[in-house]
Amino acid sequence: MNLAKEAMDWLDRRLGVSDLIHSNMGGYLLPRNINIWYTLGAVLMAMFGLQFLTGIVLLVYYVPHTEKAFASVTMIMNEVPYGWLLRYLHVVGSNLIMVFLLLHLLSVLFMGSYKRPRELTWLSGFGLLNLGFAFCLTGYLLPWSQLSFWATTVATDAAGAIPVVGDYLVAFLRGGPSVGEATLGRFFALHVMGLPMAFLGLVGFHLFCVRRIGISSPPFGEDYQPTALTQHFHHEEHPGGVPFHPNYTIKDLSMVFFALAALVAITFYAPWLFIPLDALDPADPFTTPEHIKPEWYFLWAYQTLKIFPSELLGLASQGAAMGFLAILPFLDRSPERRPGKRPIFVALYLLGILLFVGLSIWGHYS
Amino acid sequence: MKILHSLYGLIVLILFSLLLTGSLAVAAEETVCIQCHGGLDGHLGEPVAQWRTSVHAANGISCHDCHGGDPTDFEMAMSPERGFIGVPEYAGVPDFCGRCHVGVKEDYLASAHGQALEVGGPNCVTCHENHAIQLASIDLINENTCSMCHDYERAARVKNEISSTEASLTKLEASVAALHRVGIDTQRLKEELFASRNAFRRLFHTVNIEKIKSQTAQFDQDLSETKATISDYENRLGQRKLIGGVFVALLVLGGIVALLIRRTYQNKE
Amino acid sequence: MSDISENSSQRRTFLGIILGAIGAVIAGAFSWPLFRFLSPIKKSGEAGQVKIPRQQVQVGGAHFFSFQGRPAVLLQPQAGEFVALSAVCTHLGCIVKWVGDKQEFLCPCHAGRFSPAGQVLGGPPPEPLNTYTVAVDGDDILIS
Repeated sequence: MNLAKEAMDWLDRRLGVSDLIHSNMGGYLLPRNINIWYTLGAVLMAMFGLQFLTGIVLLVYYVPHTEKAFASVTMIMNEVPYGWLLRYLHVVGSNLIMVFLLLHLLSVLFMGSYKRPRELTWLSGFGLLNLGFAFCLTGYLLPWSQLSFWATTVATDAAGAIPVVGDYLVAFLRGGPSVGEATLGRFFALHVMGLPMAFLGLVGFHLFCVRRIGISSPPFGEDYQPTALTQHFHHEEHPGGVPFHPNYTIKDLSMVFFALAALVAITFYAPWLFIPLDALDPADPFTTPEHIKPEWYFLWAYQTLKIFPSELLGLASQGAAMGFLAILPFLDRSPERRPGKRPIFVALYLLGILLFVGLSIWGHYS
Repeated sequence: MKILHSLYGLIVLILFSLLLTGSLAVAAEETVCIQCHGGLDGHLGEPVAQWRTSVHAANGISCHDCHGGDPTDFEMAMSPERGFIGVPEYAGVPDFCGRCHVGVKEDYLASAHGQALEVGGPNCVTCHENHAIQLASIDLINENTCSMCHDYERAARVKNEISSTEASLTKLEASVAALHRVGIDTQRLKEELFASRNAFRRLFHTVNIEKIKSQTAQFDQDLSETKATISDYENRLGQRKLIGGVFVALLVLGGIVALLIRRTYQNKE
Repeated sequence: MSDISENSSQRRTFLGIILGAIGAVIAGAFSWPLFRFLSPIKKSGEAGQVKIPRQQVQVGGAHFFSFQGRPAVLLQPQAGEFVALSAVCTHLGCIVKWVGDKQEFLCPCHAGRFSPAGQVLGGPPPEPLNTYTVAVDGDDILIS
């Protein structure tokens, strides 16, 4: 005990750690009415951490080569002790991350937390969501299954609808005229190096924004007042609030436990939920399987492309929807955050969810 | 309709781009045989629709794979020069099918059925049909078909003799498919089962009840080894689930305890 | 008031211990698969025999191959006589080279020399090279 205290004192004298810890833990006060949705950030951090861990160990046996990738994944699943567990954790984890990312997005939208002064927090968060999509897209090519090959073919093919540069863009994305070794090489490099680096940087910035600006109060309850906008930087304080540690960290921890329980339950009981039949056959560039479908989180985009008379229009509408979401805090500038006082926004919000769900279901069954 | 159109457009685009790179073998759907006969009436058009429902179609075996000819050239499609065969003679059917189904042909020709071929005994299509060929099953032995030529009683005895082995083959195939579904590498098991099934189906084509009786025992023994391997896998999967259950319970418990700790703070807040 | 807070503090300590125990069990149980995943895998080929076609090694020549995951070498000093040795120098683990002219092994790292039977002829190696059992099976040489 004494030794620990000495070490702490030693560090404190040099880096002032106790002050740092206090101001970020016990002395960091959160709004009293903070709710369960605020734990999604911690849950996502834990899930991404696990993806890093399982991803790194899968790399030990995975071979990024068209002739060997499928065999190496089969080996991980069948010969390497507990390879199936680590791979399924990685696969199921990626899908759960998409669920939590979308929930995080929806809760932030509903509570209007994206509004000024948190535009940068929102932008970096939106960037992280897109990085999540990119992680998934590059990740499911890697096992080089029929699903990998054809889903990637269709996904990259969509870029061909862009006028003038479309054809070149498709070839650039694939590294050649069709999906092949060059595509696997670049997707692999992105998935295990490029995207994780970008992710770490962006997550760092996102957390910095959250901490620097201060946690937004949930816009509920009688006490809630919209904060007056100031011309200068203002850190939102919550005097008399709940200490972040241990009062709220323990709640974060409990939600992390529940999320991991869901992850483990699906991993052990229903991993096939996220492994379509086509993912079980090695890629065959000469045989397109019937009914090839993208993963659930891309179904909306897939269906959008199908319902528009031209691919370009479909692509443009997707771009417009995503662009609109990205710059939302710059368009929606009123300081009002209470859902009850924002009927138009709430209506659009519900319509948006319905549209997403509806398109996805339609895409699934079409 | 628009939706369908754009989907087809996408698929055709992909196929076309593959064709351009010269890398796609002629797909079954594209052959000139189907393009022409598909639009014909009567007995010249019927085979196309029948074939579409068949196990051959499902496995990419198209017209020219049996009938020869050139599936890429309208002019020469049915030229004997390009190996076109057309409709085989009644007695020529076993040789026609036997080009692929070598083993079954051998046992069939040696059987009472095969010996009677020249005098109008049953050939392959008598039981299996010609274009609408389905995955063979034990139900092909039935009173309607067999009593076209003879008493059903003898056929029923043969059916009875092979039914339990057939049933366990079917069951094992389903188990292997289920193992494959959860990521087990079943290549070797599948090959084993495929070989056993083929050998067993061959045996049946002798329609010699004594021979079937004596060899079925050997099959059952081979199958019991496969069965042991499969149940070994299944046991392991069961154990995994048990351990997984413990983990889930622990994690949920951890979550609940953390929530309880949270409540001890809430009392003070 | 203080009773309540003392009560809840005891309760918290108790729950904290349980939570710590659960966390430790889960972390422990998860590190086992991780450890096993990273442990060397026993391949079926590594324990058994290696079969090498006879024509691969000339009289007075040497053929290097992998035996039980380690480099090994097969010699034919005289026609029909075969010797199999570990090719790992007993000094610091470099792979020895076969010098055909002198009919001996030379380790390129510190000039250790071995005879075709694996005996040390000179240099720093402390022990002779390991020898393996060789059997002739028709046109193949079996090493075990």
